[in-house]
Formats: sequence, structure tokens, C-alpha cells
Amino acid sequence: MNTKADKIRAASIDPTYYQAVTEAIRTQAVKLLTEETVVAVVGYFPGRRQGTAIPALVTTPEQAEKLIFSPACVNNLTLFLTKAKKGVLKKGRVAIIAKGCDMRALAGLMGESQVKREDIFSIGIACAGVFGSGADRSGNLSEGNIAKKCRECSVHLPEGADLLVGTLPELSELTALEALEMARIEALPQAERWAFWKEHFTRCIRCMACRQVCPFCYCEQCLCDKNRPQAVESSPRPAGNMAWHIVRAMHLAGRCGGCAECERVCPMDIPLNLLNRRMAQELKELYDYEATTTPQEKGPLARYQENDDESFIK
Amino acid sequence: MRNATYEAPTPKRLSLALRERGVFKQLTNYLAPPCTQSNGPRRIATQETSMPLSITETNLRNLIDLLVQESKLVVGPKLSGAIVLYQPLTSGAELTLDSLPRRSAKELYFPVCEDILTFKKENGKVKVEDIDRSRFPETVLIGAPPCDAGSPAILDAVFSWDYHDDFYQERRKKSTIIGIACTKGDDACFCTAVGLAPDAQAGSDLFLTPLADGCYACVAVTEKGQTLVQAHPALFSEAPAGEAIPFLDQSTGKLDLAKIKAWLEGHFEDPLWESIADICIGCGACAFICPACHCFDINDEGSPDNGSRRKHWDACGFSKFTNHASGHNPRDIQNKRYRNRIMHKFKYYDDKFGKTLCTGCGRCIRACPVGIDIAEILTTINEKAD
Repeated sequence: MNTKADKIRAASIDPTYYQAVTEAIRTQAVKLLTEETVVAVVGYFPGRRQGTAIPALVTTPEQAEKLIFSPACVNNLTLFLTKAKKGVLKKGRVAIIAKGCDMRALAGLMGESQVKREDIFSIGIACAGVFGSGADRSGNLSEGNIAKKCRECSVHLPEGADLLVGTLPELSELTALEALEMARIEALPQAERWAFWKEHFTRCIRCMACRQVCPFCYCEQCLCDKNRPQAVESSPRPAGNMAWHIVRAMHLAGRCGGCAECERVCPMDIPLNLLNRRMAQELKELYDYEATTTPQEKGPLARYQENDDESFIK
Repeated sequence: MRNATYEAPTPKRLSLALRERGVFKQLTNYLAPPCTQSNGPRRIATQETSMPLSITETNLRNLIDLLVQESKLVVGPKLSGAIVLYQPLTSGAELTLDSLPRRSAKELYFPVCEDILTFKKENGKVKVEDIDRSRFPETVLIGAPPCDAGSPAILDAVFSWDYHDDFYQERRKKSTIIGIACTKGDDACFCTAVGLAPDAQAGSDLFLTPLADGCYACVAVTEKGQTLVQAHPALFSEAPAGEAIPFLDQSTGKLDLAKIKAWLEGHFEDPLWESIADICIGCGACAFICPACHCFDINDEGSPDNGSRRKHWDACGFSKFTNHASGHNPRDIQNKRYRNRIMHKFKYYDDKFGKTLCTGCGRCIRACPVGIDIAEILTTINEKAD
């Protein structure tokens, strides 16, 4: 066996790891539903197309037998716990399958009192990563098709779950492409940075998929949908689009957990996660605050404290 | 309403609550006279009047250069950043035929956003100006596969139904479509299941079929296509057509659309809608990139003194799509909104116009954030209908 072949083999994740996680999820979900510990389990079913998975809201042990975990399990399921998806789940305790990035959203929602800790049974996943948007899903997960966010993941083994399933396989060190891109843009002069984002936002068609898929965009009336008074133009034109994305990035600053769902679902491939990660970096530098997988106090832009720095008020 | 000037009785805030989408659509129905003329292309008998032609890839790109020189707006699939979109082409070299554009070609006739009038307050009077539709350019759409080339022919009916939409119709009159047979597909494609095919000529004025030797067999399907060929005779040759590149089989089998429609008629309250659409997140991705979806909203934007009335894409998936001024919302939960999507495409549009509002391009399947698969849903309904 030559070492190059070994390296290539090590770089792709063996499907037996996913099979083991799938078995563990099924066993646990069936148990929770049979014992009536929870009224529903939010997990993933396989999709019709190769390499796809879809969110599943299962309420019976029979359905729970069909849950899976695979590199196609890209969705952040915590979305279905928010008031934006009111009425879709029965009232009662709910179990949820959550990767590390999803756990940050779950923790954030708890910190903002949107979800009660006692209403959730979290099944955390020791996650090797998921497929990237537009990637070739015909084979195993490998460097060639892994999502950008997974390359620099620090929560492969998330803390704070009620139960953690899966044994992480050996993971290869991957270049943090997103961090590199962020540094590249940071180094550009301001006019070029503006041009970069303007070019992207000109393609925005205001489908609102970014907002609808975000667990933190749970407002029952989005500011940008109001027209009395109107804060942001609703028509898809460059100026209104810039405003929309800047407002959303500001509203997410300090809250966004970096699940990158917004970027994944954008039909125009706008690099939204880049913007949100940059805001997260800013919040870390200015306020030493970042989203975590365990609930904490709300972010600095969402709360007021007596000892907040006021030196900038002249 | 061209260049009308009238006095406003009192200074009024022009903040019309036009977001009550259903209300506005009804208003336009009553304000404009009905139009019965269809502006679709006139078909010609291909056997008698046009011989099979062929064109090389080089000459296809030369055709684009010539059309650009003739000051036509030439639109085709082009690499835009990292994705392919239908964009204006400045030269034949920009045409890319190796992937389906992310958005459909409907925006040639039905732009993402367009002004429909402008208003300005001058000396206490409001001056309203129409948009000069004669300035819409002569357009050639090149490189549209049947799922995109076929959609304007489906949409013509609704845009000339109870209101003659000039903005759509003028652009349609001035455009020629060069369709191309599709030799690449994936497991999201299902055009054959909805009555089209990778080589369906419906909707194209000129139709190209890629051949094994790299050239394209060429058929003038309509008079417009014939005119285009006759204007550039040097680029086409009457060489016998070679072997076409075979099409890929589609994973979604044949559907019985009549059976599906009958099932829809009897199952408005079926539990299926909850099971397939409770996960729908209510974005507009599927509607916006669909070649057949055509709902729009109209908003006044700018300031009370100076602004435009704009028509832009809307989606029945949005939560406030059917919100009434009273606050009542008949489609108040997501699975009702998704049900409407299926009903509109496979029953209501057929009831009104005898056509299916879907070309099987598969974009909605690829784009859906939660993987809702319309082809799978149709197959499920087809099976239930048996």
C-alpha cells in the first residue's frame, strides 16, 4: 500500500461512521417516543435524490425508525423550534438532532428565551461534516465536497447536549477557506470592499430564503416587511438589497451561530456567511462575546447593562 | 394614462397600502378592458417551408456577434461570478451552454423589478408619466433549453387574459427565442413527466439540436425563426443533419396529469398537505427561479414628491401573500400556501387556460432549502390517484 493512497483514503469519511450515528439516533428516538418522554423528534429523512436529506418531524416510533444521519444532513433543525414555525410541532417536550453549529443556534434561542431548556431533549452529533452547496454528492464526504464552514469547525464534539451520539472518525486538517477569504477582503481598501458586496447584492432577488431559514429571524413581523413606515424598499433593486442585507447582518451580530444555512440556501450564491462571520469577529473583538453551544446571557447588542461603556457618547 | 397632469385635491401622503396583494390584483382586473388577442408566435409548416439546416458552433457565436452589431439585445447563459445566469451578451464568446442558468428566462418578459409609471409633484400638481414601451429593445434569447424556451408560451395566456399586460406583451412581440435541445440533465429534471421533452420545440422560434460532431441541427419553428435564418444566410448550411447526442433518461417516470388534477379536485383537505409541507419555510426561492411562476406585487417607492410605481416578483409562499386589509388571512398556515402552489400549477391554470404551469426544469427541487421535491410529490399523488 503506498502512502499516497493511504492519505486519499484517510481524507474521505467512511460511511460506517454515519451508519453508526443513524443506528444510535433511531434507537434513541424510538425509545423517547415509546416512553413518551417527548411528543416529537425533529430529525432527518433521506431525500429522493442521491445525497440529499430533508427535515422530518416524527411523532411515532414507526416514523422514528426511518431517521438518518448522513453528510446530506445540512439543515439546521432548530428553525422548527422557533415561533416563526408556530403550530408545526405539537405542544410538549421535543427531541432534536443537532450538529455543533446547530447547537449554537439552540443555545442562542434558549438565551433569548425563545425556547425553554426543559422543553428540549437535545441529541448532539459528533459530526465529521456535511456536503457543501453545489458539491458532488455521489461519493463519501471528502475534502472535495465538504462544506466550507466544516473546514474550520471547532464544535465537531459539541458540549451541552442531553445526549451525544457518534464516534468521530479521524479528521484531516483542512485549509480554512472562509477565514482566508475574510482576511483577503479585510485587506482590501474600503471602496473595493463596498464594490465586492455591491456586486453580490445586485444579484439578490429578495426571495428571503436567508431570513426564512435562519433560526434567529423569528420576528413575527419582520422590520423589512413593514410599509407604515417603510424601513427598507421591498423591490429587488441594488439600494434596497444593500439595506436589507446590512440590516439583517446587524440584527444577527452577536447572535448568529455560524450554521451558514443562509449562504447554503441563497439561490444566487451570495456569500452571506462571510458577512455574518465578520460581524461575529467584530463582536468578539469589541465585547469579547461569541455564540456558544451552551446557553448564556444574550449578546451585547440585545441587552443593556449599567456598566456598558459610554465613552463614545460625546 | 400617458403624461397625465392633474391637481391633487389636498396634499396627500402617497403611502398606499398596496401590499394587500390580493386586493390590488382584483382592482387591476376591473380597471382595464379585457383583451382577447393572444400574441404568441405563428407556427409555420416546417415540412414545406424550411429545410433542415445546420450551423457550426463558431457560426453560432458569430451569429451572436452579428446580432449585437445590429443593436439587438442578445441574452443567453453566461458565467456571472461563479454561477450561470441569462445575461445580456456582448460577444459570442460569452455564451456558455454547459449548465442550466440558475434563474429562468422569464425575466426577459417579466423582469425581477420594473417601473410601471413615475410621479412627481410640481407646483402643487402631480405629474404622472407612463413608461415608454416603444423603447423595449428587439431581443434574441439564445441557448434556452425546452424548459425555459417553453415557458413564455405557457405564460402568454395569463398576461393577456382579463388584463392585457403591455409590459409583458411588448417584450414578447419584440423577442425571438433560439431554443436548444438539452443533453445534460440531473435527477431533479422531469420535463418529460409534464409533457415536454429534452428536444421539445414548443415555444422556440428557432430550435437547435446539438450533434455528435459539434455542430447543431437547426429548425425554423415559426415565422420569426425563419426571418432570423433568412437575415443571416451565410451562417447556416443545408448540410444533412448528423447524429444527435442522446438525451439522458429522467428519473421521474411519466405522470398522468389528468389523474393528478382529478385527485387535486377531490383532496383539498387531504392530510398529505401537512405531511409534505409542514417543513416549508415560506421563502420565495421556488417561485422566483421558476420559469412558470408569475405572481407580482406593486409598490410605490420613493417619496411622496417624487417616485415610481414598481412591479416586482412576489411568491405565494410568503406568509402575507393572501393577507386581507381586514387582517384575515385565508392561507394562514404554511401547508395551505404550499397546497396552493400545487393546485395553481396542476389544476387552476389548466382550468383557466388548458395548460400546466410547470416545465419540469427542476430548479425548485434544487433550490428548496428543505428539499421539498415537487416531482416526488407529483409521483405520490399519481400513485394515490390510481
